[in-house]
Amino acid sequence: MSLRFQRLLLIFLTLVIILSAVLLILYNTREHVSYFYTPSEIKKSDILANKIIRIGGFVENNSFNKISSSKFNFRITDEKASIFVTFNGILPDLFREGQGTVIEGAFGNNNVFNATNVFAKHDENYMPASIKDGLKDTGYWKKNYK
Amino acid sequence: MSSLVGFSSLVLAIGINFYLLLSRYIFKFQKQRFNFSIRLSSLLTLLSFFSLMYAYVVSDFSNYNVFQNSHSNKPLIYKISGTWGNHEGSMLLWLSILSIFSLFFSFTKNIDVNFQKLTLIIQASLHILFGLFIIFTSNPFLVNSILVEEGLGLNPILQDPGLAVHPPILYAGYVGYSIVFSIAIAGLFQNSDNEWLYVAKKWSLISWTFLTGGIALGSYWAYYELGWGGWWFWDPVENISLMPWIAGLALVHSLMMVRGEQAIKKWIVFLSILCFSLSVFGTFLVRSGILTSVHSFAADASRGIFILLIFFIITGFGFLVFLLKEPKKSNSLNFLFINKVSAIVINNILMIIATLTILLGTIYPIIIEVLYNKRISVGGPYFNSTVIPIMIPGFLLMSIAPILSWQTNKIKGSKKYVFVFIFLSMLVLIQSYFLDFNTWGFIGLLLGFWIILASTVAILSSYKIRPTINFIQIINPHIAHIGVGIAIVGITCSSVFQNELNFNVNEGDEFNVNGKKVIFEKIETTNEINFQALRGKFLYDIEKNKSKRIEAGKNYYPVSKMITSEAGILHQWNRDIYFILGDQKNNEWFVKVLINPFVSFIWLGVVIMMYSGLIAVTRK
Repeated sequence: MSLRFQRLLLIFLTLVIILSAVLLILYNTREHVSYFYTPSEIKKSDILANKIIRIGGFVENNSFNKISSSKFNFRITDEKASIFVTFNGILPDLFREGQGTVIEGAFGNNNVFNATNVFAKHDENYMPASIKDGLKDTGYWKKNYK
Repeated sequence: MSSLVGFSSLVLAIGINFYLLLSRYIFKFQKQRFNFSIRLSSLLTLLSFFSLMYAYVVSDFSNYNVFQNSHSNKPLIYKISGTWGNHEGSMLLWLSILSIFSLFFSFTKNIDVNFQKLTLIIQASLHILFGLFIIFTSNPFLVNSILVEEGLGLNPILQDPGLAVHPPILYAGYVGYSIVFSIAIAGLFQNSDNEWLYVAKKWSLISWTFLTGGIALGSYWAYYELGWGGWWFWDPVENISLMPWIAGLALVHSLMMVRGEQAIKKWIVFLSILCFSLSVFGTFLVRSGILTSVHSFAADASRGIFILLIFFIITGFGFLVFLLKEPKKSNSLNFLFINKVSAIVINNILMIIATLTILLGTIYPIIIEVLYNKRISVGGPYFNSTVIPIMIPGFLLMSIAPILSWQTNKIKGSKKYVFVFIFLSMLVLIQSYFLDFNTWGFIGLLLGFWIILASTVAILSSYKIRPTINFIQIINPHIAHIGVGIAIVGITCSSVFQNELNFNVNEGDEFNVNGKKVIFEKIETTNEINFQALRGKFLYDIEKNKSKRIEAGKNYYPVSKMITSEAGILHQWNRDIYFILGDQKNNEWFVKVLINPFVSFIWLGVVIMMYSGLIAVTRK
């Protein structure tokens, strides 16, 4: 093999690698991306059953049911619309009624959302309510503390 | 008082750096006086950091930052590590580590004085940028306007020994790239000989070793604390730590070419700038709250914009110098089809593509939101099915790459390796026939064992084994690659062959895990210093005398009214038995058991890689 041929081969190999990487990325950004909706957006649009999506909202008050130690259902809401959700497994520690949550899963054929993953927001700023009020009074309350 | 000391020393340190920067062009320093100023500013920054730590240790709630993130009944270790368990404190830690790197660099002997000065001047500019950022947007020394007796407490998730080690070591990796950046820029300006390449090599190895340790500690922490049974989730924060890590790996490999005297200087400078840019970019993404993850501290738009500005200044300046000050033309590359140069070039191409792929996946949600106003999330499957295939050719190559020669096109005893490869393929194929065949499992095990075996064969057949330091240094690249191979085996087994079992059990029930009898003894609640603990007590393998106790449960922190999960993990050399206690109804508890085979191999692989990183620092 001449030196020149070897270099051509190397450049060709590089191009093949880059091309296959680009194809992989293009293919996977179509396949492995899940869209994020709020409950009212879901009511407005048609979402196919069994398509994996994420829904973000609050756990509706008085909607949480414990069917067994690992089976739960609850409603997730954004004040305008709410979605009925079932979940099998272990809920995150920060999950409770009235708190923000993001769930991942898909609608079954009966319009029930089967969550496979439930996420609750971890945050550095959680505060006992009494101190929160005190801070609000002194004007030290920053708007980003929920 | 400590706040005042901390703040004034922080300001003074920045002032000294300003003075250094301005005076460079006004009057020339003596070396002694220059170094004195640099060291003084470093020590002042450290003083500032330690006065914040002091405020945390004595629970000085007149400091607003301490009030927000601490509580007097925390154990001492969390008072100390709580210093950086919040945004403001962690930025001060960042600046302190930057100072430490400058301090150590000012003590480096045997390098060109002007080059050293210039590097430190660039460090001083970085110090000013980040120092101003702290003072204007994230000052940890604000005075609390209301008089309080007690603080709000540290987030319980952070109340873990992991907080004491993971952030400082990770930051040492991130910030270590600042010195590599400064060295590269100074090298461009001075445009002298190749000396700076050796200096850059040493420091980039140190940073890379720290970064490796920091990332691994973070994964290990996530593994036992989050209670999800995994150790890597392709969370945005994990991704942005992985990007400088891979780019840094590319940098370390290109710097190897210095030894072959075929360094592509331009490319090395590019990588050095890239590594530090990615580190700063990562900080921007996390701190701005643009990407939400387990690590996001409170989002504050002004901080985000400020860090974005710093990012553009650093990256813009870096690449501008890079474009204007072209390095002197170095000798052309000795490309052959299979020699070390082309192996390293392919390695670099793959790593840069992998970095870009991760970057794209991480910021893709932002792009889509801006363009289409739709919110999406890119999860693990995307990264698994792009990054891993891209890296596969590299994994195939790395087993034999260290024995390739610089000049010629031949591999010594190439037949041997072909035999080893065929033999291994058969073996793994037979193994996968007995277990369920899984493509990823097959590829992962084959690659992992191929790297381990071929590297071992290469060591045994290419070098004479002697118990000398020189020998340890010579075989070091092979050892590093064996570490990677071991980690690949661990990663493959623990993710592909993970086994999940679910049980609904009452106290006193027996159940079967992996053919071993487990008894669920009882639920117990105890009161600890600052939390209440609820533990399910399990006895694993009760038929033998050496039964193991596993405790899984939850902690309740009354100060913050928060619950954290505490997984119970039984570590064995070939598998981890991972217990998670779920919810209960009518005294029936939900228990999830994960069997993670060969997780220990991941940590072993990482330790070997870090060891090799350190050994490589010692090699000229």
